[in-house]
Amino acid sequence: MQDVRFRVFSTLLLSVATFVSIPGAVAALIWWLMAGGISTVKTSRYALIFIGIVGLVSLLVEISGGDGLSYFIRMSVILLIAFWAFAHQSPGEFMDLTVWAAGNKRGFELGLVAEVTLQAINSIRDDIDRIKVALTLKDRRSGIRGLLPAAFVLIITHLSRAEDQADLLVVRGYRNGGSWCPAFPKNTRDIAGGIGAILVLLVAFIPIRDIFILLL
Amino acid sequence: MRVVFEDAEVTRERFMIRAAGSFAEGVHLVSGPVGSGKTTLALAATGLRTPKKGKIYMEGIGTFTLSQQFPEYHITGTTLNEEIASWGLKPDHILERTGFNGQGSRDPFSLARGELKRLHLACVLSGNWDLLVLDEPFSGLDCREKKRIAGEIATLKAGIVIIFTHEQTVFPRVDRLWELQEGFLRDLGPVPGSFPDWRGAPPLLRMLLEKGIVPRNLANEDLLEAVCRM
Repeated sequence: MQDVRFRVFSTLLLSVATFVSIPGAVAALIWWLMAGGISTVKTSRYALIFIGIVGLVSLLVEISGGDGLSYFIRMSVILLIAFWAFAHQSPGEFMDLTVWAAGNKRGFELGLVAEVTLQAINSIRDDIDRIKVALTLKDRRSGIRGLLPAAFVLIITHLSRAEDQADLLVVRGYRNGGSWCPAFPKNTRDIAGGIGAILVLLVAFIPIRDIFILLL
Repeated sequence: MRVVFEDAEVTRERFMIRAAGSFAEGVHLVSGPVGSGKTTLALAATGLRTPKKGKIYMEGIGTFTLSQQFPEYHITGTTLNEEIASWGLKPDHILERTGFNGQGSRDPFSLARGELKRLHLACVLSGNWDLLVLDEPFSGLDCREKKRIAGEIATLKAGIVIIFTHEQTVFPRVDRLWELQEGFLRDLGPVPGSFPDWRGAPPLLRMLLEKGIVPRNLANEDLLEAVCRM
């Protein structure tokens, strides 16, 4: 999905549908498969890690008497949709979206925050790789002994980078708002995907069990 | 002792470097411009990246380490004392050498990047390594500190030292030159015979070679002596 407006819209609808009911989650999963979601998680080890964590929490919920399986299905689908949305993201498109939605003042501010945040998320991957190398060399690969310094380095470096970025923006004359011309690629598949997401949301709210009872 | 690149292809995202050659005991300088793949190759040399094709292996090497370009990634201690101790060293000696005497309880992140690099390099260069890989050891340092580090590298006890750098002004004495050119690692050969083949040679060396003067090595005193021969 190339148009960020359709992607964000679809992501929101699919997330709500998944959260509301299991049929909604299943429908969202089918939508995700049809949108080529597999290719977006195939190479990402993080998807597996996050789903693993959700699995662990679900197991605890199940053991403590809750509906762990339902939680696992819904949260996993939400994560898969999030990975799909993130994989299609490209620099500058949130600026397009927010300026289109809220104009050159508030929209620009929101877009700038979103772009800076996404830039930081993207750089985390490289940071983690470098930290892992350093920990391996000091033979501290696993456990809390490795995790704590890694988290500390990540937080400090990102705070320091944010400070540098803020200084740079001020030096380059940024006060508030700005000028941005949003542009969106035209694609009929995006429209089809958006309509599909609406249908998924409808499935989530339709009491499917009642329909089957009526049919019988 | 040696590190062997056997027709190795190392990749990072869409980037690929091909390397073939053997790093024997001594100081090796791998030169290449920014973005030529030096860091990827440095990681591969220490076994931290697996080649997509070919082999990279170490022979007779027991202890090894890699100094990454940005020292903050190496920090695991919350104080300078802890950080130095994490390298298996006694803090007092390193603190004194780096000018942080009596500041052992200081947070490593409170140091400027140059100071942190100084401390980090002092820790790395104090170890007894069979293989020491230095990725851009001179970046973030002032000229005086670069010269000091170059001098320290020359006196290292390590078996194999591989320096990956785009540095153009300060160098230690090296035994062999390598260059990254268009995705290939080329073994230019021993110094000084390899100087004429060095495409990315520093301006001073290029000027000397154009005048027919070949310095004995790359250290400041060698270049100065060559200049005196003009």
